[in-house]
Amino acid sequence: MSFITALSRLACTIAAILLAATGVMLTYEVIARYFFIRPTIWAAELSQLCLIWGCLLAMAYLLTMRRHITVNAVTSLLPAPAQKACTAISLIAVIVFSAIVAYWGYDIFHDSFVRGRTTGSLMNLPVWIAEASVPVGFGLLTLQAIVELIGLRKAEVFGLGASHE
Amino acid sequence: MTIILILATLFALLLIGVPVAFALGGMGLGMLMLGGFSPLMAPQGILSTLDGFILLAVPLFLLMSNLLLKGGVGRDLFAAVQAWVGHWPGGLAVATILSCALFAAISGSSVATAATIGTVAIPEMINRGYDKRFVYGLLAAGGTLGILIPPSIPMIVYGFVTEQSVIALFLAGIGPGILLVTLFVVFAMLHARRSGAYTPVPKATMDERITASFRAMPSLALAALVIVGLYSGAFTPTEAAAVGFAASLLITVFWLRTMTWAFLWEAIRESAVTTVAILLIVAGAKVFGKAIALYRIPQDISAFLAQTIDGPVMFIIVVSIVLLLMGLVFEALSMILIMTPVLLPAALALGFDPIWFGIFMVIMVECALITPPVGLNLYVIQSVARTSLGQVARGVWPFLALMLVTVAVLYIFPDLVLYIPFKW
Repeated sequence: MSFITALSRLACTIAAILLAATGVMLTYEVIARYFFIRPTIWAAELSQLCLIWGCLLAMAYLLTMRRHITVNAVTSLLPAPAQKACTAISLIAVIVFSAIVAYWGYDIFHDSFVRGRTTGSLMNLPVWIAEASVPVGFGLLTLQAIVELIGLRKAEVFGLGASHE
Repeated sequence: MTIILILATLFALLLIGVPVAFALGGMGLGMLMLGGFSPLMAPQGILSTLDGFILLAVPLFLLMSNLLLKGGVGRDLFAAVQAWVGHWPGGLAVATILSCALFAAISGSSVATAATIGTVAIPEMINRGYDKRFVYGLLAAGGTLGILIPPSIPMIVYGFVTEQSVIALFLAGIGPGILLVTLFVVFAMLHARRSGAYTPVPKATMDERITASFRAMPSLALAALVIVGLYSGAFTPTEAAAVGFAASLLITVFWLRTMTWAFLWEAIRESAVTTVAILLIVAGAKVFGKAIALYRIPQDISAFLAQTIDGPVMFIIVVSIVLLLMGLVFEALSMILIMTPVLLPAALALGFDPIWFGIFMVIMVECALITPPVGLNLYVIQSVARTSLGQVARGVWPFLALMLVTVAVLYIFPDLVLYIPFKW
């Protein structure tokens, strides 16, 4: 396993914990509000932060696990070499897209960081904490997609994903 | 012309196997750049989507149903329902549908519903001599109730993209849900009576009924808590999901005592993977939606439909056919996310209620979940029952027909959808 894949895997584990943590925080919020009449100022805001980071951190490892939602009705009918070619083209599309998003996402993050913008909410957190997730997540996705493209030469199973709801 | 080119490129990307989230996002980004708009809109669109408080309900509802699935709640629910209706004609089939409906009231996902109930009901029904095709079709179709009876992940997503009230959508799903359950039950009883090829279950004693119901009680109470909490306005959908998650943890750890650390971690991981896969598509669709709005495509399609299609009846028929065809190849959420922004303006212009249209979309998506070659519930039942896709697919046709009948009934009596959220 390459270093990048190990990194993506770690990011995915962190993401799963962040997403479960939202459940704990929001339950606490409901209890605090209804039983102790003391709503928190942090539960909703931190949960949203967890959702953003969780989704973008897990993205790269989902690609490795082939768990992104993909339409494979047509490609599954093709002969193996054609399937491989489709997968290669798809990976290149993912690389181009995620690299561009990571680039402009960094732009947004950098701008907020330099200007010291804050959310203006009760916690008044710096905006860049949320925005940094885009360059990090899509940067990792770009690297992971490159790893997958290189690994494709030796791959036995093609296609990039599964069906979901 | 631009529209055809855009749709053709999008479909080409999707069909060669680019993950849906990145195909939508990439198309949107490409269109923004070609149209001379700021590419910053792509990361902004992604951030603003994932910042939506209502979408937090998605991981939490998934956690809740995955915990209950791992905790073996399906077995208890099925046993409880069976104790009451098992001796009816086609009793196990009726029990299966009612268990699906009850689990649907806890779960927002049709896959979780089909898997939870299917694992228990399929072996039982086949042991009792029910026709295999019928059993598979029943479970695949019964599972789709998971997204019509609230809570429902597709409704959360529809509400998010159309800026409609998710609570209103949830409540609107109850009436059609009951109608569809009734149709399924009547069909199952008629089928059982006509074929007669099954061993009836002896009537359970009152003691057995009470014991079975007692064990299933917390799950039923949980379903009631979520619905009543939402209806009374005590919880937002996100809070209801959080409380449901905490409660299902308590139920599986302290009441059923079936939860282990390994199961818990599996449920957390599985929920995270599904959440991320779903929400990235929503984010990609947001970027795509922004781009097509800047190109004024929804307005053009709406104007085109207004010219060519004669009245609301034709509109619904044409849209149903398009969605059925799309459902052959596409999975559920992508259909909602691609087609809603395109169709909703036209539907509103023709006088449809946005909540009614949401329920209509959900039922069409249920059809997509059970139409081969690509229907997620078919895969679930196939893997649970270890059989071929063809066997499962042959069993679903009568249920598909009943769903389309439901659409027709809802068109004629829109109050079946709109009464509970707006007039009660």
